[in-house]
Amino acid sequence: MKRRSMLSLLGAAPALLAGSKLDAAQKKSMHSKHSMGAGDKIVGLNPRGTPPAIQLIPMAPRLKTLDGKTVYLISDGFPGADVFLNEMKIWFAKNMPSVKTIYRLKAGGFAADDPKLNAEVKANGNAVIMAIGH
Amino acid sequence: MVTIAFHDLAETNAASRGVPDLRICYTPHPVWGKTPEEMYAYLEGDDPVTHKPLMPEVISALTKPLTEDEKKTGSVTPPVGPPTYAGSPDELQKYYMDNGMTDFMPIVIPTEEKVAAMLKGTSHSPDEHVGDLTPARGAFPPWSFNVHQVAINAVMAGATPDYFPTILALAASGQSALFSSTNSLVYAAVINGPIRNKLNMNFGIGTMGPFSQPNATIGRAWGLLSKNLCNGGLPGQTYEGSQGNVVNYSNLIIPENEEASPWDPLHVEKGFKKEENVVSLFFGFGIQQAQGGWGLGIKPVPHYQEAMVCNCVPFATIFGALIVADPLVANGLVELGFKKKADLAAWLQKNATATVAQLKSCLFSRPPMGPAAAGLTDDSVVPKWYRPDAFNFVVAGGETNPYHQIANMSYRMSVSIDKWA
Repeated sequence: MKRRSMLSLLGAAPALLAGSKLDAAQKKSMHSKHSMGAGDKIVGLNPRGTPPAIQLIPMAPRLKTLDGKTVYLISDGFPGADVFLNEMKIWFAKNMPSVKTIYRLKAGGFAADDPKLNAEVKANGNAVIMAIGH
Repeated sequence: MVTIAFHDLAETNAASRGVPDLRICYTPHPVWGKTPEEMYAYLEGDDPVTHKPLMPEVISALTKPLTEDEKKTGSVTPPVGPPTYAGSPDELQKYYMDNGMTDFMPIVIPTEEKVAAMLKGTSHSPDEHVGDLTPARGAFPPWSFNVHQVAINAVMAGATPDYFPTILALAASGQSALFSSTNSLVYAAVINGPIRNKLNMNFGIGTMGPFSQPNATIGRAWGLLSKNLCNGGLPGQTYEGSQGNVVNYSNLIIPENEEASPWDPLHVEKGFKKEENVVSLFFGFGIQQAQGGWGLGIKPVPHYQEAMVCNCVPFATIFGALIVADPLVANGLVELGFKKKADLAAWLQKNATATVAQLKSCLFSRPPMGPAAAGLTDDSVVPKWYRPDAFNFVVAGGETNPYHQIANMSYRMSVSIDKWA
């Protein structure tokens, strides 16, 4: 979880994280007795763009139990997700029969919002398991 | 639920959308093509990340109380590192490479002096906003960038200031040349107008090969800025092409040989004036040489159009066909009656056919649907593409042989270069 937090807090690649560490190491090196003379060094500019600020979204409160609850199983449409979620439906029926499961295919591309489905889940569901292919 | 192959992508993506601790459970990869029994075995098995039974992990993700981190609000700004890096030339080469800022070829170190010189290639202010880029629109929030940031990447690619307006136009298009898809996709840029001569671009012998500084470095700059201006091109996180594509090193840069072409240049077809300088973008699976197509042996004039049909048989129809014809081919086609590119597009649209069964069997092709499918059987032969504008033509090459190359790629947009002069 620590790694996940680190990655995402920064929303950036490990390479970006490494940038600040290397910069610190560079500064240290510049001041060490083994550093090169000033004439040997050149300064390069950072070629990166400007990322947007990321608004943190608090996660939805968790359920105390799934017993008697309705869980939506949502596919984003990549091949195989429908078969996988159907097997999950079977798993719940066998192992947790008090859980009601409803399968839905999300409209639009994998990254597109589906407001109609979101409204349905809010009205009728207690939890969502979303499957993202392949 | 995410398959393990997309672990890093899922976590980076969740973070960039503001849910850094999103509870993600993983299955083995792939689910595609697996039987229901195999899928059920996944569910009964372990999560390949935690190595704990999968379904209890799923249930825990839905029922375990939230941690304080998971309830956090507010905003964070991803760091992009310090504004400058100091070191010897060799140290800096390694630094830029090790930090994912290059294409793993040596770069020109973007010193303040070199970047200042690059900025003289445009009348635009260094801090002017140029555009936004994302490795995959919809999946990652776009990053913004200004003229100065593009100039740094242009220097790194080995470009000279007179190439800069073309590089700015590519950046302003908002199209990453390293679009993240599991398909290893490529971009092409067709360049039209007097700037081809002004920059001494190569649209003759070897036009698409490594034989010209402007062709090579303009394309390379597009690739580098597609990495650096939007955190793109990081395998597993912001690049998912399973096999990658060698074209991504410098992209497919095609200055049209307007002087030797019997047809209107591409930018004129797209609504620009002949004297305007324009870059037109294409996107798709890539390009192949097509001189082996049947029809070329027919005398006295080779039937180039039949070779073109032959060579687009394996193409998926999710993308169109971009045909790069040597001037010898283009002039031969005029002799055969194709006075305009549109005549050839109409002929190819009619004659590039497949059976309904073939279209059904191709993942990225679609058979006719709705009323268009009435009366058709799997054996029915139908045009692969429904519209002639699925075909685009560019004339380029040095007339050493009547060859063409054909790309399973679609037209995306045309952008003015003059606007960025």
